[in-house]
Amino acid sequence: MTLARTAVLLSLVLLAGASPAPAQDAYPSRPITLVAPFPPGGVADLTARPVAAALEKALRNPVGVVNKTGAAGAVGMQYVATSKPDGYTLLLALSSISIIPEADKLFGRQPAFTVDQFAPLALISADPTILVVPADKPWKTAKEFIEDAKKRPGQISFSSSGVYGTLHMAMELLSHPAGIKLRHVPYGGAGPALTAILGGHVDALASGPAVVLPHIRSGKLRPLAGWGDKRVAALPDVPTFKELGYPDAEFYIWAGVFAPKGTPEPVLAKLRQALRQAVEDPDFKGAMDKLQTPIAFKQGEEFQRFFDTDARRLAEGVRRVGKIEIKK
Amino acid sequence: MLETLANLGLGFSVALSPPVLLYAFIGTVVGTLVGVLPGVGPLAGISLLLPATYGLDATRAIVMLAGIYYGAMYGGSTTSILMRIPGEAASVMTCIDGYAMARKGRAGAALAIAAVGSYVAGTASIVALMFLAPPLAGLALRFGPPEYFALLLLGLLVLAYMSGGSMLRALAMAALGLLFGMVGIDQMSGYFRFAYGVVELGDGIGIVPVAVGLFGLAEILATAGQPTPPAVIKPRLRELLPSRREWGESAAPIGRGTVLGFLIGVIPGSAHIISSFVSYAIERKLSKRPEEFGKGAVAGVAGPESANNSATSGAFVPMLALGVPSGPIPAVMLAAMMVHGVSPGPFLIKQQPELFWGFIASMYVGNLVLLILNLPLVGLFVNLLRVPYPILYPSILVFSVLGVYAVNGSVVDVWIMLLMGALGYVLRKLDFETAPIVLGVVLAPMIEMALRQSLAMSDGRYAIFVTRPIAATLLAVGAVLLLLSLKPLVMHTLDWRARLALAAKREEHS
Repeated sequence: MTLARTAVLLSLVLLAGASPAPAQDAYPSRPITLVAPFPPGGVADLTARPVAAALEKALRNPVGVVNKTGAAGAVGMQYVATSKPDGYTLLLALSSISIIPEADKLFGRQPAFTVDQFAPLALISADPTILVVPADKPWKTAKEFIEDAKKRPGQISFSSSGVYGTLHMAMELLSHPAGIKLRHVPYGGAGPALTAILGGHVDALASGPAVVLPHIRSGKLRPLAGWGDKRVAALPDVPTFKELGYPDAEFYIWAGVFAPKGTPEPVLAKLRQALRQAVEDPDFKGAMDKLQTPIAFKQGEEFQRFFDTDARRLAEGVRRVGKIEIKK
Repeated sequence: MLETLANLGLGFSVALSPPVLLYAFIGTVVGTLVGVLPGVGPLAGISLLLPATYGLDATRAIVMLAGIYYGAMYGGSTTSILMRIPGEAASVMTCIDGYAMARKGRAGAALAIAAVGSYVAGTASIVALMFLAPPLAGLALRFGPPEYFALLLLGLLVLAYMSGGSMLRALAMAALGLLFGMVGIDQMSGYFRFAYGVVELGDGIGIVPVAVGLFGLAEILATAGQPTPPAVIKPRLRELLPSRREWGESAAPIGRGTVLGFLIGVIPGSAHIISSFVSYAIERKLSKRPEEFGKGAVAGVAGPESANNSATSGAFVPMLALGVPSGPIPAVMLAAMMVHGVSPGPFLIKQQPELFWGFIASMYVGNLVLLILNLPLVGLFVNLLRVPYPILYPSILVFSVLGVYAVNGSVVDVWIMLLMGALGYVLRKLDFETAPIVLGVVLAPMIEMALRQSLAMSDGRYAIFVTRPIAATLLAVGAVLLLLSLKPLVMHTLDWRARLALAAKREEHS
């Protein structure tokens, strides 16, 4: 009797222990959602679509993109942070993922999410920003620009995609080591910020290279320097701030794929493997080529290190900017 | 000139090729649907369909997306006129006089005039786009925050012409609207204002849920609250077409709306909404019978509906000539070009003549398709009014909720719409007009942003508004308008508002 009961119990335990294993092997068994926290047409969406298509091929399982937008990306990021960690909800995030929780802390708000709610899967692209000025401005080099800015603190203006936005933070990461103070005119997105400098309403802009290249070629804007570790391939004559002696002025508009923390390790491993395959996909390469965004694939330790350094730099930047005091 | 004609020939050879024609047709039909559905506007429509265009070539994708944009401007007037629910934000003004016309049995005429006005404005503004894109684009860029602020201030003066009743009541409603517009992330400092921990409120209170709630839901609630249901309007066939007098009264507003819409559309910003507001105000100001506005003045439909169509072509000017977005919709279309490896920028017209001229030609074709499509639909749509209210109104409610939800996939937006519906009902009972609230919600964030950006540019010096010629001119025009409206106070003459009050009094006595 006891023996029989033990046997039943034992087999139950075995069954219980065994049952998740086939389920894990079966991953993925239903469609995966890749959340882009920005509207269609933005960098996140434009990167997410080809990533999803290539991932779908690699996993032989449907992967759909869903745009969950709002509050500068916070709505979509929060959604993934709190969704079930089963590998069926993934996030395509941009640099702002490290900025939003810091800004929340600054204002004493309950952060909508924190970076440690995510498991980094892969870095897809990392484009350094470029400092551009209208061609009719006197500065020919970054050195001249910085010297003039030192002489006239708060007089040279720049546009940005929004306060604490990526383009604002890029400029902050230069201003601090260079010891300059620029006048910030925030706009509601990278598009309006570009329109502002083309109209001559501001003096400078830190921008992703792809969108300003046509205007550099038409002679409307002049590139002074880049925030990258290396020079931008399309602009071989434009130095990096690193070369000019500002090693901390490093900033990338990057895109990476994340899963919610707590996703089982075998699922993460499968996704990492699939992403490695996906970035080699010729269709994916072609799509990124059309967007003029170089692929910068990083995984595991390498991505974690990049992510941590970037997050630390941005967190310091946000804290340095501090709360914006409204002049009375 | 000859070169342009040759280029246009090239454009038509592209636009009339069967696949491009097909996508233009799909775009305009989808646009009309998106416009007709309450809440869902062109931005939502284009965003939803953008991924579907990734497999097409660049010209087909752009032609289809543009079709959705201007098609929505045609469709947007339909529910505004028939049910007082703005099909998309730029049709808010059409709700006022279009619906009043429908109540008088002139729904068919209003719909026909909106369609014809849209066609004339659409076609004329493409001619302008074709010839003026490069020079105008440069001018558009000179519109920085100070100029935009001055323009919006002019827009605010429009309020004076928005309601037929008491100025005090209109201003109170406008102030309420401006207050609603304050909700959301402070763009200059990152503070959340009046969001009460709701992350979605960070983006502010959207115009779509407010407009659908205040106009549409409030109308439904008010009708349901009447002791006897209003008689079902049974339109007769010969009443479908506008009368000779209605045509006569529409011609000039259509012309003015076209010019105005195009010019405002060129300016970077959410200009097509503003263009319809400004057009309405101008028509009321110029009208010989301003007291008819709000009670079914045909000019109040013709002007704004032409302006919002013309503004879409205007919005393409900076996009095509310079590769810079003039608003959220051109921004999505620029992204669509990038996906196809077409680099938008100042060289687009030279490097991609098939795309540019094909696009232009397809808009001529698309507008014609829309006219042919929309005029026969007038008869069909008008018959919707025959549906008994117990069936019609619940269905409208369902579509409104679905439409508002579909824009952002946000339940918060649905709640905003429902609350606005309740508020609109109460305000109607108290005899307040709700249109100024909508204008306030639209203008508040834009005015605030432009003002504070201007002051950030000038380091806090207000002189920036008078030292820049365009801004100074606009502000001077505004000041003159303000003085003109104060004239009756000083000169003791009666303006239309006073005449209206007198007439009402006389009616009461008789």
